[in-house]
Amino acid sequence: MTNMAEDLKAGPPAGPAPAPAPDGRRRPPVAGIGRRSSRERKKRTTDFIIYAVLAVLVVALMVPFIWMVSSSLKENNQVLTVPIQWIPSEFVWSNYTDIWTRIPMMGYLQNSLYLAVIITCLQVLTGSLAAYGFSKVRFPGRDVLFLCYIGTIAVPWQAYMVPQYIMMQNLGLTNSFNALILLQAFGAFGVFLMRQYYMTIPDELCEAARIDGLSEYGIWARVILPLSKPALASLALLTFVNTWNDYMGPFIYLTSNRLWTVQLGLRSFVGQFDAEYAMIMTGSVISVIPILAIFLIGQRYFIQGIATSGMKG
Amino acid sequence: MTTKTITPAAAPAAAPAPGRGNRKQARRNTLIGWTFILPNFLGFLAFTLIPVLAAFALSFMEWTSFSAPKWVGLANFQRMLASDSFWVALRNTVVYAIGHVPLTMALALLLAMLLNRKLKGIGFFRVAIFFPYITSLVAVAVVWNMLFSPDNGPINQFLHTIGIANAPGWTSSSDWALPAVIITSVWRDMGYYMVLYLAGLQAIPAELYEAAEVDGASAWQRFWNVTIPSLRPTTFFVVVMLTVSSFKVFDLIVVMTNGGPGRATTVLSQLIYQEGIGEGKFGYSSAISLVLFLIVLTVTVLQFKIQQRRER
Amino acid sequence: MKRRTFTAMALAVTAGLGLSGCAGAAGTAPQAQDGKTTLTVSVWNYEGTPEFKALFDGYEASHPNVHIEPVDILADDYPQKVTTMLAGGDTTDVLTMKNVIDYARYANNGQLQEINNVVDSVGKDKLATLDAFDINGKYYAAPYRQDFWLLYYNKDLFKAAGIDDPKDLTWDKYAEIAKKLSGTSPDGKKVYGTYQHIWRSVVEAVSAAQNGKDQNSGDYSYFKDQYTMALDLQKSGATLDYATAKSQKTSYRTMFESGQAAMMPMGTWYIAGLLQAKKDGKTNVNWGLAPMPQKDSNGKVTTFGSPTAFAVNKNASHSDEARKFIEWAAGAEGAKAISKVGVVPALQDDAVTDAYFKLDGMPTDSLSKKAFAPDSTALEMPVSDKSAATDKILNQEHDLIMVGEKSVADGIAEMGKRVKSEVLGQ
Repeated sequence: MTNMAEDLKAGPPAGPAPAPAPDGRRRPPVAGIGRRSSRERKKRTTDFIIYAVLAVLVVALMVPFIWMVSSSLKENNQVLTVPIQWIPSEFVWSNYTDIWTRIPMMGYLQNSLYLAVIITCLQVLTGSLAAYGFSKVRFPGRDVLFLCYIGTIAVPWQAYMVPQYIMMQNLGLTNSFNALILLQAFGAFGVFLMRQYYMTIPDELCEAARIDGLSEYGIWARVILPLSKPALASLALLTFVNTWNDYMGPFIYLTSNRLWTVQLGLRSFVGQFDAEYAMIMTGSVISVIPILAIFLIGQRYFIQGIATSGMKG
Repeated sequence: MTTKTITPAAAPAAAPAPGRGNRKQARRNTLIGWTFILPNFLGFLAFTLIPVLAAFALSFMEWTSFSAPKWVGLANFQRMLASDSFWVALRNTVVYAIGHVPLTMALALLLAMLLNRKLKGIGFFRVAIFFPYITSLVAVAVVWNMLFSPDNGPINQFLHTIGIANAPGWTSSSDWALPAVIITSVWRDMGYYMVLYLAGLQAIPAELYEAAEVDGASAWQRFWNVTIPSLRPTTFFVVVMLTVSSFKVFDLIVVMTNGGPGRATTVLSQLIYQEGIGEGKFGYSSAISLVLFLIVLTVTVLQFKIQQRRER
Repeated sequence: MKRRTFTAMALAVTAGLGLSGCAGAAGTAPQAQDGKTTLTVSVWNYEGTPEFKALFDGYEASHPNVHIEPVDILADDYPQKVTTMLAGGDTTDVLTMKNVIDYARYANNGQLQEINNVVDSVGKDKLATLDAFDINGKYYAAPYRQDFWLLYYNKDLFKAAGIDDPKDLTWDKYAEIAKKLSGTSPDGKKVYGTYQHIWRSVVEAVSAAQNGKDQNSGDYSYFKDQYTMALDLQKSGATLDYATAKSQKTSYRTMFESGQAAMMPMGTWYIAGLLQAKKDGKTNVNWGLAPMPQKDSNGKVTTFGSPTAFAVNKNASHSDEARKFIEWAAGAEGAKAISKVGVVPALQDDAVTDAYFKLDGMPTDSLSKKAFAPDSTALEMPVSDKSAATDKILNQEHDLIMVGEKSVADGIAEMGKRVKSEVLGQ
């Protein structure tokens, strides 16, 4: 099925944002040879500078991660030394084999993945639906309701977690994945993010689709959603990461060990008086891998670049 | 929003412009709007809004979580206003937000623009910028504290070589601990907000830039007249989320300085946690969170109004 | 996004929600034990705290009609989780009291059952620090474990420096030999004469114990000597400085096990960890125990410690079984079971102590044995509803004194002022 949006983009009545530039002001389609090569040279120089800047940046950003990897290859009592020892005196590769037997790491990973996938899907689905209501449909009380949504983001969870827990306990939902899914899937974050993105999509597209006889649901599914891939990708990515790394929520709601997530599993290496930091870092390195995979998939949606996105004039 | 300027002309008069029609149309719109919102709203109402309202009600009560709550009127608020710790934490939180919000926003936007291009291996760089956000907090705290080490940390050694004699004591000094925490948190969060800006940049039509270029606009002018206005909805989101997360900052501070030295980096959510679940004064901790909520709501509503005015 | 993808996703979600009823990939759901009573006990870090398993296995072996199911909670935020669970009306039978401050809160709020008869049958005079649990003549918990502080030392480093074992130390003498022991080891590593961990108890609780003072009183002038010594130690480089130790999250285990610290005041819980590390070949430190250094040299040993106790939840599903379990765990049988894994029981009994020193790898010299029998052990923090708030203030001011932001006198004055106004309401 072709995207409705693609057709609309080309359709003249929906001619969006910038008034089409008069032909005379368009750049000539064929540029002079000399000019092109000078532009190319200029581009190559900028690319080089950008690569250089990025390379320096990456090093600055990766230092703590490198420490993490280095620590995961040490004996536990060699991790927090003074001064920091960047290269382990002896590489303890066995940490990476031990962790699977010390704790049920595989099971924890599965639990985390399960929660993160379900919560992300629900958040993206309900968030993008509600965002359409908040941005493209006008009805009384809309903005007040919307501010209400945003307002609750401001309340720290620490303040209402006990009332919430009591409520969940009365509903018989504690110590189950359902509790966490219900709590985290309907947050205001997704609604807010998607609404803001929809605001950048011209209303004219919706108008045109209405004329074409599409229902509001049809507009959402066939016009708006295809156009908001980058936002959906970033919402999915950020929700996934936040769910994956969440500690307090699972800690309060998941009591049985078999329900634990990776973050809880890693914290189980923290004892009353000391902690096994080598194991914690080993586990942290492992738990970063799924996030990287998701990110590498998700970031493809940002790659369209300025040149192809948006509407044709 | 850039597109709004031509809306009246472009919108066909015959189209059922939402909200502007007769009463029947308005009712239909309300119905349609709610069907979109309802799936999320039901979950939100049941599992977030009701507990939040319960917490607000608790701020007028005394409650240990074990027995029935007791109505105490404004006593919690009076105690709060008289408490030194509350004012210290409020001040720290506000200072943190003032430092954290604009810096993170600026750097996130800069990075997003840097990475919003077709370049070999750009995916790798995007992931790398996101790395600080997914690195274990303990690793972040240990390494940054090492960098900030007053005597032999690389940061102070650099400051010495460029001729600054009294380099700050960073996390072991009351005056510099908060800036140190702000720097670390900006470093950590910028990748997160970069993702949002990256998505926002995709929505800017290339024609806007082309038209500006033809008009002879410089790179700076294009940034100022095309990029910034087009990103306004994204920026609103980023500002609000950053403000909210600054006012709720908790994990990083607990791991990095644990509020110290003394109370130099104690923030409101730490106070809420300690007083509430730590000491069982849930009424009092709810009162603090109500205040925190009102501050953030004020900032948000202000931003919202400004944004709406710009859109008109 | 293609519509088909989206539909698929929605289907996946629906299917997923349906599935989530049967959950948990990390192990199997507990099986119903036919004919047995299942007793639930809240514990922290079950895998890493062998005493719990030792107790549960021991009890199950002697009570075949009971099955114990641990409610495993992360050690870090244990009290927070227990508080939340109890607020929701949780029915876990036995609650482990991690420290006396939490005990005071739960007991004063009527969350625990009174268990005087259990305490009586174990024997009031036998349980160390039982007084701490006395709330107006009623006991709401019985201690089964009693950790107290002593001095760990590295025998090899002492020998190399030609210093006698740390017998009958006063704090002055302790500081003096700490400075002598500092230097560089043969393999070029920096060696500190002692390692004083960043906890405020290292300075404050010991000072309160040896001066016989109450840390909730609002008067802290007696901290002065101890602080002066602690600051002098870090200034002279005889211990790792506080700011570095705090910001680098220095592990006291690393300091001692890698031979970087010649002495270390620390609690008895570390014995089990040290024995294990040596058994696993992760350290070769040649260690011994000595009594805590003292204020005066009158030969009496005063230290501090904190008990761990079991209590019965008000909403317990099996109250009678819970009481029976506590009676067993706090009694001689329980004490035997936990001392086998290197944990110090609250029950004081020569037989138990003897058994303890027979553990594999335990130093058996007379000084170590003496360290194990202090003349008096004060509580680390009094049982009071004020303790949590006081603790927070003392921690903050301790931080300021130790990083050198406040002088000892100013810091102590500020502690008194803040505790009086913020906690005692004077």
